[in-house]
Amino acid sequence: MRRKKLTLRRASDHFFTYLALIVMSAVFLFPCLWLILASLSKTGSLYDFKGFFPQAFSFQTFIDLFSDDVNGLYPYKTWFFNTLYVSSVSCILGTILVLLTGYVMSRFRFKGRDTIKKTTLILGMFPGFMGMTAVYIIMTQLGLINRLESLIFLYAATTPVGYMVQKGYFDSIPNTIFEAARLDGATNLEIFTKITLPLSKPMIVYTVLTQFAWPWSDVLLPKLLLKERDTWTVAVGLFNLPETHFARFAAGSVFIAIPIVILYFCLVKYIVNGLTAGSVKG
Amino acid sequence: MTKKKPFFKELSGSPWQVKLSCAVMGLGQLCYGQIVKGLFYLGSLAVVVLYFVKRGFTDFIGFFTLGTQEENLWLGIKGDNSLTMLILGLFSIFILIFTAVLYVSNVKDAMFTARQKAEGKKVHMLRDTLATAADDKFHVTALTFPILGVTIFSVLPIVFMILIAFTDLGGSVVYPKLANWSFSAWSKILSLGQIGGTFAKILGWNVLWAVLSTVLNFVLGLGMALLLNKRNVKGSKFWRAFPVLAYAIPGFITMVGFKFMFSQSGPINYYLDAAGKMRIFFLTNDASAKWWARGIGLFVNAWISTPSIMLMTTGLLSNINTDLYEAADLDGASAFTQFRKITLPYIIFATTPVLIGQFVGNFNNFGIFFFLRGGVISNYADYFLASDTDLLINWLYKLSVDNNYYSIGAAISLVIFLITAAVSLSVYVRSAAFKEEDTYQ
Repeated sequence: MRRKKLTLRRASDHFFTYLALIVMSAVFLFPCLWLILASLSKTGSLYDFKGFFPQAFSFQTFIDLFSDDVNGLYPYKTWFFNTLYVSSVSCILGTILVLLTGYVMSRFRFKGRDTIKKTTLILGMFPGFMGMTAVYIIMTQLGLINRLESLIFLYAATTPVGYMVQKGYFDSIPNTIFEAARLDGATNLEIFTKITLPLSKPMIVYTVLTQFAWPWSDVLLPKLLLKERDTWTVAVGLFNLPETHFARFAAGSVFIAIPIVILYFCLVKYIVNGLTAGSVKG
Repeated sequence: MTKKKPFFKELSGSPWQVKLSCAVMGLGQLCYGQIVKGLFYLGSLAVVVLYFVKRGFTDFIGFFTLGTQEENLWLGIKGDNSLTMLILGLFSIFILIFTAVLYVSNVKDAMFTARQKAEGKKVHMLRDTLATAADDKFHVTALTFPILGVTIFSVLPIVFMILIAFTDLGGSVVYPKLANWSFSAWSKILSLGQIGGTFAKILGWNVLWAVLSTVLNFVLGLGMALLLNKRNVKGSKFWRAFPVLAYAIPGFITMVGFKFMFSQSGPINYYLDAAGKMRIFFLTNDASAKWWARGIGLFVNAWISTPSIMLMTTGLLSNINTDLYEAADLDGASAFTQFRKITLPYIIFATTPVLIGQFVGNFNNFGIFFFLRGGVISNYADYFLASDTDLLINWLYKLSVDNNYYSIGAAISLVIFLITAAVSLSVYVRSAAFKEEDTYQ
């Protein structure tokens, strides 16, 4: 009797567990599927859809995305290369700056260290784009409005504020390694480039990924600083597409989401490490 | 190492080269034969002087006056722009501070060389200087660019906005009108007028939103992590792929996508139509949209944020010592008791900083209603340039970026700062009590 009850309980446990899993997967998968379907729609407007489903399918939207810019209104190809340029350059610069900051803050004790720590802490409490008006005026004064470089400067220059994750990682490298290198006569620069960096692959991967993904999908700053359609990034462009160009939005989104999604899936291990490193150290 | 003398005492007793460096930056270094360094200091000084002669001085004065000459089209007089003058004046002050720092470093450097010489050591030439920069002074070298960048693009704008909150800039006082230092923004926010009323309503909703969304996201994220961690789940890697997919998609695509889904001619309303029901104004500018839009906002925000919380808690769950569960099993503790007594305390301990970060992040969650209800302004319920779903940060954006109400926007940013700072600080104080970290690790 007791045994039967147990299996019944087990069966219901199995049933509800898998039911929950299926519901969860459906909730996350469905909107993605919907966008992919929409990107394959033959007609572009949202008004022509039968509920979630397009009336007819074709690859035309993807071809149009690159070949037909609707009289210069939606030059996706230009947007795409703008985004690639901004994301890669600011990713490289930002990664270097934030790794240096995290490393120095983790390994060195010097006058002003506490001030830097407190200042970044306070900076982080201000609402993110509180200074947007000021940024706009500064960029106007520097003559960088409508220039992609303005974005690169901004993204790269402000990344060191979030150095805590990197610092947390460097903290976890045992001190003895550095002391040994020091005894062998290595300079601090050599220790950083020849010992620390090779040991920090997971953290570098995480940093590069987050530094790349941020400009890749940011709308606000480009919207503020880039006023001409030709200088837009993909995110601003897609944000400005009306309902009548829904398929174009879907296709453009799928196209820029795919590389990021693939990267995330390959690197999910590093992301989990980065997320937990940030959490335990705070 | 020799004992350090007080700065000024050492300075008065130092050789003439050091005093030359005090008078003109870089000259002392040149006299010591440090050509490159001397020229660098001298060149910097020349640039700064040139800047102040050409415009810096006027900019500096302008910081206090905020403009004296109003534009006069009849006489063809170009007017002062208070907004630009404020930031340029601030910039000149930053340059002044930067020059002072450079000057002190120049004097200290000359004093260092003097000491080297007095002790009979070799004077540092360019090669030695570079070697020091790569080794003993590595922290200074490495932090120069980060600090410079953060100062110009993060500190300067924030200081600027703090100052703006104490002027009357914005609204009707924009170029060509001249602005003044004043507290008008604060009296408008704290008064019972339309702006004050909007502020109170938005603040209330903002707090509610932050609490609701943080709790919802945390509970769902933890639930998903526990679900995937269950012993009887086969292929948890496969199931986990779905939330990771959601996590990887750029946020704005998700948000704009959901906006299309709930739009007037979107699929949800299509099915309502087909079923013979009335279409629902989910996200539009309509009184009935209020709670629909708020609910959709909560849902979409959860869709975006739960995967990261799930991933994080999964990482933490795998860190728990399994011996604890085995011991609990032996003692006959039920699964629920184990969860309540072992898992939950650990998770809450480990995620407290993240939870606070989430709360602050949600409190300032600009994206969600910017993308879902961009441009909507509710005029039926006496909102001043805001919609009934807007958080303070959205209102701030509409005020200062879209409508040039600079000083009120800046005052609101300060209020937001005070709230987030208070929340974060209270936790930092408490985390001092969490110093016995070792109990869990």
